[in-house]
Amino acid sequence: MKHWAIILAVLLAGCDSRPDVVFVNAAITLPDDPAELPPGPGLQAVVENCTACHSPSTMLQQPQVPRAKWESMVSKMIETYKAPVDEQAIPEIVDYFVAVQAAQVANPGGA
Amino acid sequence: MADGNSANGKTRSRFTRRALLAGAGGGVLAAPVLAQRLIGDGMIDLGLPGGPSERPLTPRFPGKGEMIVHRVRPPVLETPMAVFDHGTITPNDRFFVRWNWDMPTQINAAAHRVAVGGAVRQPVSLTLDDVANAGDHVDVVAINQCAGNGRGFSQPRVTGGQWGNGAMGCARWTGVRLKDVLAKAGVADGAARVRFAGLDVPMVDGAPQFIKSIPIDIAMRDDVLVAWGMNGEPLPLLHGYPLRIVVPGWFSTYWVKMLSTIEVLTGDDDSYYVAKTYRVPTAPVTPQDKGFETVPVSVMPPRSFITSHADGAIIALGQPLELRGIAMGGDAALARVDLVGAGLELPCKLGPDEGTYGFRRWTLRIPEVTGDLAQIGVRATNANGITQPAEQAWNPSGYARNVIERINLRAQ
Repeated sequence: MKHWAIILAVLLAGCDSRPDVVFVNAAITLPDDPAELPPGPGLQAVVENCTACHSPSTMLQQPQVPRAKWESMVSKMIETYKAPVDEQAIPEIVDYFVAVQAAQVANPGGA
Repeated sequence: MADGNSANGKTRSRFTRRALLAGAGGGVLAAPVLAQRLIGDGMIDLGLPGGPSERPLTPRFPGKGEMIVHRVRPPVLETPMAVFDHGTITPNDRFFVRWNWDMPTQINAAAHRVAVGGAVRQPVSLTLDDVANAGDHVDVVAINQCAGNGRGFSQPRVTGGQWGNGAMGCARWTGVRLKDVLAKAGVADGAARVRFAGLDVPMVDGAPQFIKSIPIDIAMRDDVLVAWGMNGEPLPLLHGYPLRIVVPGWFSTYWVKMLSTIEVLTGDDDSYYVAKTYRVPTAPVTPQDKGFETVPVSVMPPRSFITSHADGAIIALGQPLELRGIAMGGDAALARVDLVGAGLELPCKLGPDEGTYGFRRWTLRIPEVTGDLAQIGVRATNANGITQPAEQAWNPSGYARNVIERINLRAQ
């Protein structure tokens, strides 16, 4: 009995110095993103051009920034990230975020 | 804790009720809507100046406990500050998560390959077993921190992921040395940098892939790993299963997840996420400045946090006070932590050293509370003599925050 224990201990010690690594298949399911965009001018343009890549959560959690900053962000999405945004929709997208942020500041409680 | 997070039940129930009321009112704002639809179990106030400051909390991500939700897809999840009071190792189920592009949600282990190419003697395509057999298995305790951790506290505010201070964690990483994996291909003469790519790719053709590179001398360090283990478990998918790069002392942006390509470069890296973003000014700038010189964000500066008390907590007048928290040296060992405040500078006691690049516990006993402790904070100094500043130098992307984080404690 004692011998077996010693042999087992040696085997375990051997494993410790170079443990086998076993890679198995893995999969997860991510939760849905059911957040809704609040109503506002240009909502449709935002839904059509922005939500394929962006959770509403990210867009709506940004700090209040001037209109020019929203314009530059939309330009960056188009030029750098190659987002297929309809050029005609840019002013509406910017209108929407400026209006929603103004509402957030006016009504920080949300209700 | 500067962000005012609290694990206490009162805070939780207040936010829950507010979220429910907001939902009943028609949901003008995003955060309450998110809470109502996704979660229903609470909101947390990150204390972001000027707001919006509340975020949903959820345990509904696979393998995760309660996390702060910044984005659902691709996932961006923050660790509540209360977690850091429990220990210097951050549990996998509470570790922050950040993906730039959509992440695959399944991995076929037998089919996965890591291509090693570029300026090498012989390009190779390695199986996971090839990687695991490339060299000795190494454990490193190291902090993984997003370059934008604390961005939400920038003043003036900047756009980007609006993190509180919980985009950090410390784990024991297990893997093989990157240099041993590189040796399978053989680094050619003239190697300057090593670049990594993972399985997360843009959804739109022509958009930049999230690829990152480090200088060759960093890549050849003994503690820079291709890791598969995180705190004794296989890397969770959300943290980059099957393999991720570990660069102790460097910001997380270089710790590429779901590693699929290693490329040796002979010159500068002109790819987008190195040449255009994740960069910091070389000299102080103001929000009005344009066209200034920048360099890639790289090593982490020292940071420290009070975790035993939240901002605004009540302390007992006339009684002793036990303060505690965590601290890090960044790219060098932690040397000291001091509690600082108006007319106050007290050295803190440091807990066990689990490695140069890990968190360390600090504690301080104040024999008797004689009044309010206003604007107190802890200040870490590392072995290179770098110490946390009293004022944060502003930068346009809110990177590398390490100002002394202040709280107020009220005696009564």
